[in-house]
Amino acid sequence: MTQSFVLRAGERGHDVIYSEGSASSYVAGHPGSFISRESSFNFHQYQSGRPGFGAVRVFGDETFHGAGCGYNMHPHHNFIICAFVLEGELTHINTAGRGTVDQLRQGDYYVFSAGSGGKHCELSISPEDMHAIYLWLMPNQLYLPPSYLRAHFDLRTRRNRIVQLVGDSDGALPVAQDLRVSRLVTDRRTACTYTQRSPEHGTYVFVKEGELRSGDVTLGPRDSLGISGVGKIECEAADTTDVFLVETVMLDAGGLSAWEQEHGDHH
Amino acid sequence: MNAITLKRLMCLGCGFSYDEALGLPEHGIAPGTRWADIPEDWICPDCGTSKSQFEMVVIGYADGGPLLAQSA
Repeated sequence: MTQSFVLRAGERGHDVIYSEGSASSYVAGHPGSFISRESSFNFHQYQSGRPGFGAVRVFGDETFHGAGCGYNMHPHHNFIICAFVLEGELTHINTAGRGTVDQLRQGDYYVFSAGSGGKHCELSISPEDMHAIYLWLMPNQLYLPPSYLRAHFDLRTRRNRIVQLVGDSDGALPVAQDLRVSRLVTDRRTACTYTQRSPEHGTYVFVKEGELRSGDVTLGPRDSLGISGVGKIECEAADTTDVFLVETVMLDAGGLSAWEQEHGDHH
Repeated sequence: MNAITLKRLMCLGCGFSYDEALGLPEHGIAPGTRWADIPEDWICPDCGTSKSQFEMVVIGYADGGPLLAQSA
């Protein structure tokens, strides 16, 4: 059965977290630094609304404003956290294995699996704003060995087709979940088809910029669409468009379906 | 005990997991302690998230995982 929802930009969660005051132990940066966060799904206690999609628990785009702004070192277990840097420079520090200090710029992305326990720190050191998309994913096993992988998506050479960034394709970063993250960047009008692993999978389609049409739905900047129960997703992107597609196994954990029934927004 | 399905729950703040079968002996919770029997004001030992922000999960362990989880 086909199920879908449309989440418009204005319906997403919106938070501003300052480096001063109650969040000061969590948020790094000089006084006046702040993080702005637009979340599609429930980000811990900060947002009401749709609690997730398949194995995805967080899909948000965040901007770190001000020199040194970001998240101080803090612990995680189990969650797989991915970041896709859109603008600025992200300094990422983690304790997986022997630990890593990494700096990521436009097109760079990472997959950090906290597994049996890993800490991380996310910072924008320079005065330039840092803008990234963050995903938090449920893993397919608990207490995996912590790991960190990073790669680069070349926006200039990989245009006008859907490119898999995370998943099981050649060149994609592997992830311990039945899940794939792909990206479509266009510089001309592009019609394309995304084929799901099976009709039981679901795909969350997020338009970072530009315009995407799928069936009778037109999505603008920061609008998104979740769809499951279809084999293929046909879409047409406008000439300057950037889209993220997250295909996931549709876990029915944590009362996601109960939330959907209560809110009755599936059709 | 085997006839009872023991639950696993995950903290939505940080991913810390609680397994009823394993308990959290390091935090004074004996193996076999049901989620319902943990006080409502209990918080995630790693990040301070409230008990109500944990989500039940049906996910198995990686090799050696249960041992690590019990000493978390």
